[in-house]
Amino acid sequence: MARRPKLAGFDAPAVALPRSEIVQALFEMPSSAREAIVPAGLHPTNPAALVLQAWRCPESPWGAFSLVQARAQTRSGVRPRGFVLGAACDNAAAASALATGFGFPAAPAEIRWQRAYDTVRIEVGRGGETILALEGADPEPLAAGDVQFSGTLNLADTPRGWRLVQLDPEIRATRAERLRPKLSAFRAAAWGDSRLDPYWPVSASITLADIELLPIRFVCRPDELAFTGTERV
Amino acid sequence: MNESRHESGAGYVEPPRSCLRPAFFDFVRPDPRGDCATAEEGRGGRGDALKFGIFFELSVPRPFGPAIERQVYENALEQARLADALGFDWVWAVEHHFLEEYSHCSAPELVLTAVAMQTKRIRVGHGAVVCVPEMNHPIRVAERAATLDLLSGGRLELGTARSSTWTELGGFQVNPDETKKTWDEFVRALPVLWRREPVRWNGRCFSMPERNVLPKPVQDPHPPLWVTVTSPGTELDAAERGIGCLGVSAASYQEQERRTREYHRRIQSCNPVSSVVNDQVATLNFLYCHEDRKRAAELGMRFMGAFSVANSHLLWTREAFPTRAYQSLANLAPSASGSGATNPGDGVALPEGLCIGDPQHCIAAIKRWESIGVTGVNFLLNGMEAVPQPAVLDSLRLFAREVMPQFRKEPTTTARALAGAGQ
Repeated sequence: MARRPKLAGFDAPAVALPRSEIVQALFEMPSSAREAIVPAGLHPTNPAALVLQAWRCPESPWGAFSLVQARAQTRSGVRPRGFVLGAACDNAAAASALATGFGFPAAPAEIRWQRAYDTVRIEVGRGGETILALEGADPEPLAAGDVQFSGTLNLADTPRGWRLVQLDPEIRATRAERLRPKLSAFRAAAWGDSRLDPYWPVSASITLADIELLPIRFVCRPDELAFTGTERV
Repeated sequence: MNESRHESGAGYVEPPRSCLRPAFFDFVRPDPRGDCATAEEGRGGRGDALKFGIFFELSVPRPFGPAIERQVYENALEQARLADALGFDWVWAVEHHFLEEYSHCSAPELVLTAVAMQTKRIRVGHGAVVCVPEMNHPIRVAERAATLDLLSGGRLELGTARSSTWTELGGFQVNPDETKKTWDEFVRALPVLWRREPVRWNGRCFSMPERNVLPKPVQDPHPPLWVTVTSPGTELDAAERGIGCLGVSAASYQEQERRTREYHRRIQSCNPVSSVVNDQVATLNFLYCHEDRKRAAELGMRFMGAFSVANSHLLWTREAFPTRAYQSLANLAPSASGSGATNPGDGVALPEGLCIGDPQHCIAAIKRWESIGVTGVNFLLNGMEAVPQPAVLDSLRLFAREVMPQFRKEPTTTARALAGAGQ
């Protein structure tokens, strides 16, 4: 598993990210590695699913930034959660704050958004190489509340030891569209685990929303089910 | 007015023949002009005693293998035989595909046939057939159902559904946007396909030139139709079509009361898919009955917890594929300013009115369900084989001995409750 951030504490204040765009795409993965890529305290879904979630935030305490996450869709207890395997961010200050404040393993990268009437394309580059190229096409309008966003779990080194840091962003969507996803580039190792294989596209969406990163309330032991391994902070 | 009872018993009454136009059998929709009288006559069925059923998901714990799957199936058949002997009214079997651990019941018509061959009186129910053409062709549904009705001697109840997991829909490459529409076409087509004459159909998800679909069901005109109710609003779909509500997820008393009230109100002006109306409302519950409350709680909660955790591992359609056709939880990460971020340490939220306890507890819970207009209660008996089979069977016996008689001797209680609901 890739290196993880170190949190000095759990007292990062809430962060407002107004008028952000969120592209979310879900792909099925083979079942062969579905349990190996998540900590023992989490359970993968059936079928295993990889969610690529990209934020384009024009306003933040650190200026404009984009963040792209690769998340395994899991269950923490009986709750749906995206376990962040890897992340990329194009703003150094934001990357550092997201890592040390909320546990995002946000490595620096170039992130390019191309928005046309009928497509949105996101490319992530690092060291001259394209490590992700995701396209969503043929938008179909949805109600703002039709897109489901799961809470986030970031594995981080915390004052309590290794913990899954639960992040519950509040996402107040104002517009949403469904897209047909296409993944034309994906370097699995760059996203945290070489076994990742998002081979079957399922769906994508683009949502306009106000995002608020809320203060951390819960952490979980990664080697224990959430029913007994959850700690309030 | 024809008040003859349907062969199934409660809640199923034929309208006057004058409601049917001579050309009815060539039409794909029933004549709406007869519907109001039909729905009105459907009221009579709910004066009958509360019905009880058992509900099979056929959950299989890991590690998988032929031995454990066979054991689960054999246990279910033994439970069905006992339920038949004890006087339970229904045994239901789901149709699920690819749902590891949660349900290994992908061929319910075979399971129900085995049950029918080993029982005498209990009714056998699809809980439910998935009405999606990529999974089941409507003609094959009609044929298999009629065959099962024949083999069971007219004991089939046909629940219908459209699946709610991406695990299943994705496996068959189904477009989630279409499932509500295909379900609607199935429930309109099936009564037509069961007619005694050759029929033709020109629809959205299937068409056929004039053919006689064979065999025909024993029950006249056909087995009672139901729809599984998970999402709020489906009870209205059921009412509008004059078919029964088969609850398959736990709802609170308040929510079930609301659904039942709205269902009974709406069905009065239904446009039924058939010449008969099934106005029954059944809910799903968990059953573990033991004289010792503590023991009941220990084993009952164990199986309920195991089953619920297995349920949570499924990839729900509304999670994987944004669509208007499946109600989406707009945000699964609630604001900390409300009740607080969801605590992953919270286990399964306990549904209200569980029949996990001693007989008195079960009686009280069921009386509450009865009071809000429910006409039947179906029970999950085990999950992941968490309860040993002898204990499951003992629970059934105790329930039949101590609880069921409380609901057999006062059939008018249900009628009074329904009258109180403003029907």
